[in-house]
Amino acid sequence: MTGGTVSVPARTPGRAASVGTLALAVAMAGLLGACLLLARQPQPTSPAAWLLGVLALLVLGGVGVRSAAQGESRAARTLPAVFTLLLGVLGAEALLRAYAVPAGLIPTPSLVLRALWNARTVLLQDTLYTFGLEGLLGFLLGTLAGLLLALVVVRFRFLELGLLPYAALFSSIPIVALAPVIVKAVGLEWPSKTLVVAVTVLFPVVVGAVRGLQSAQPLHLDLMHTYAAAPAQTFREVRVPSALPFVFGALKVGSTLALISAIVAEFFGTDGHGLGFRIQIEVGRFNLDIVWAAIVLSSVVGIAFFSAVGLLERRLVTGAPGRDA
Amino acid sequence: MTLPRRSPLLPMLVVAAVAALLYLPLMVWANYGPAARTLASGAELECRTALACATQLRNPVLPSPGQLAGGFRALSVPLTSPLSAPYNAVVTGGETLLGLALGAVVGLALAVLLVASRSFERATLPWLVASQTVPIVAIAPMLAVLLGQYGVQGFLPKAIIAAFIAFFPVAVGMSRGLRSPDALQLDLMRTYSASGSQTFRLLRFPASVPYLFTALKVAATAALVGSIVAEISTISFSGLGKMLAENSRASDTIALWVIMVYGAVLGVTLVGLVGLAERLVTPWKVRA
Repeated sequence: MTGGTVSVPARTPGRAASVGTLALAVAMAGLLGACLLLARQPQPTSPAAWLLGVLALLVLGGVGVRSAAQGESRAARTLPAVFTLLLGVLGAEALLRAYAVPAGLIPTPSLVLRALWNARTVLLQDTLYTFGLEGLLGFLLGTLAGLLLALVVVRFRFLELGLLPYAALFSSIPIVALAPVIVKAVGLEWPSKTLVVAVTVLFPVVVGAVRGLQSAQPLHLDLMHTYAAAPAQTFREVRVPSALPFVFGALKVGSTLALISAIVAEFFGTDGHGLGFRIQIEVGRFNLDIVWAAIVLSSVVGIAFFSAVGLLERRLVTGAPGRDA
Repeated sequence: MTLPRRSPLLPMLVVAAVAALLYLPLMVWANYGPAARTLASGAELECRTALACATQLRNPVLPSPGQLAGGFRALSVPLTSPLSAPYNAVVTGGETLLGLALGAVVGLALAVLLVASRSFERATLPWLVASQTVPIVAIAPMLAVLLGQYGVQGFLPKAIIAAFIAFFPVAVGMSRGLRSPDALQLDLMRTYSASGSQTFRLLRFPASVPYLFTALKVAATAALVGSIVAEISTISFSGLGKMLAENSRASDTIALWVIMVYGAVLGVTLVGLVGLAERLVTPWKVRA
């Protein structure tokens, strides 16, 4: 799947790379300097000039990031994203300070970092509650149920005709509309949120797994037939490998949905734990630094989860789309 | 598929009938406990036994078919009333379509950049993924206030929030589609000494059309979630999300069920619309 990017000769690391490093260093130092200067000056006089300066530094930084991304080394694959984040955070900090945006509207990144540190015990507990009990458990339950259902559906053509249209139908139901009903029916504790997550993950998995199990090439199936392979063997050797990419496609969608649906479901009632509860409470109190800290945490966990699923895909799927999202 | 196609109508009806038959005992079982407790508390009820009360609770765990029908009648007429569910569903649907269009444009642009430049991909892809794990509930009110400061009000903030959720499936699906031409086809373009933009126009874009529509179907559902969440968490006066929030606060379980069904119908309709567009754009494709 690496298509057009395969045969591009790597640029020789030399002058271009050092120019890039220089650009990156200048941009970082400039933005950091701007932040420090602005910190001493509570009401900056001409925000437009600061805006132009910051934008120029960001463009310079972009050039640096571009040159850092050349080549196939480990650093070239991971560092550009890190630099992008640093540049973005520093740029946001400088601009928010230059325009003196009140913390009740958008807190600066430094305030968010401080809130993240100050409220770390509470936020970590909330993350554990929302991700562990609700997101992960729901994801596993939904995946398991979805795979089992898919096996049954593929086995019986009657069900494939009768049940699959409903699965496709259900996967287009907005989960938020489902959440209040489930929370009202099951209760305010974590099982109701786990169930919401499981339902969210279930239908994409069913649809993906069924489509995948049926995607086996007729030629391959015929070949297994001529080898007089047992149905179980055919299933293991042909159908499962051809289904895996589809299943993982659904799982990746599910992994980003799991955490967010847990948080949204907490919006409709909790017993006082979880990131969704924390966010909702602190928005009401205008403690937006804590809200953003919770958002940062949930994003970190979400990325880690998505990457874990992607890693599993690369281990299990032969010919997986390596760098593909 | 070489098998002769069979109509799914009969199997679908049978499955629906089985589900309906299973629902009744499930409903009675779920409501029996609360009904018994309500009776024991000495509340004034028109029913005598817990079994009879199971279908008449004011806040049932699972509503009975009669209660659902009553709820539908209460929430659906008159159609054009600002309080009726169909009217609000149309409002939400409009926001969603606008958001979907915005999200598709952004997603398309990102996909082209992701495929055209590896450094762009390396620099931004993790953060594109991260943007999807941002709890939109939290940023929706902030975004609404922020946009409101610049005079963006009403319809548009919700559409932007919907677009925020919808761009990602499009970007991922399209970048996969743009990469779907294999090395052989790309080599052929190179032997023709086609430029980068020609390769995009003549090979990559046509190859990505099926991926685009699959992604748009996912994005349509996601955008619907986005606009409902936006309605819940910003100040809004119409839309299914507003109805959900109000009835959730009022603990009107039956209304929540009715709104959920309307939301489901709306989701199915939107996906159906995308499917219709797909048929119009690719009439030659054999449908599975």
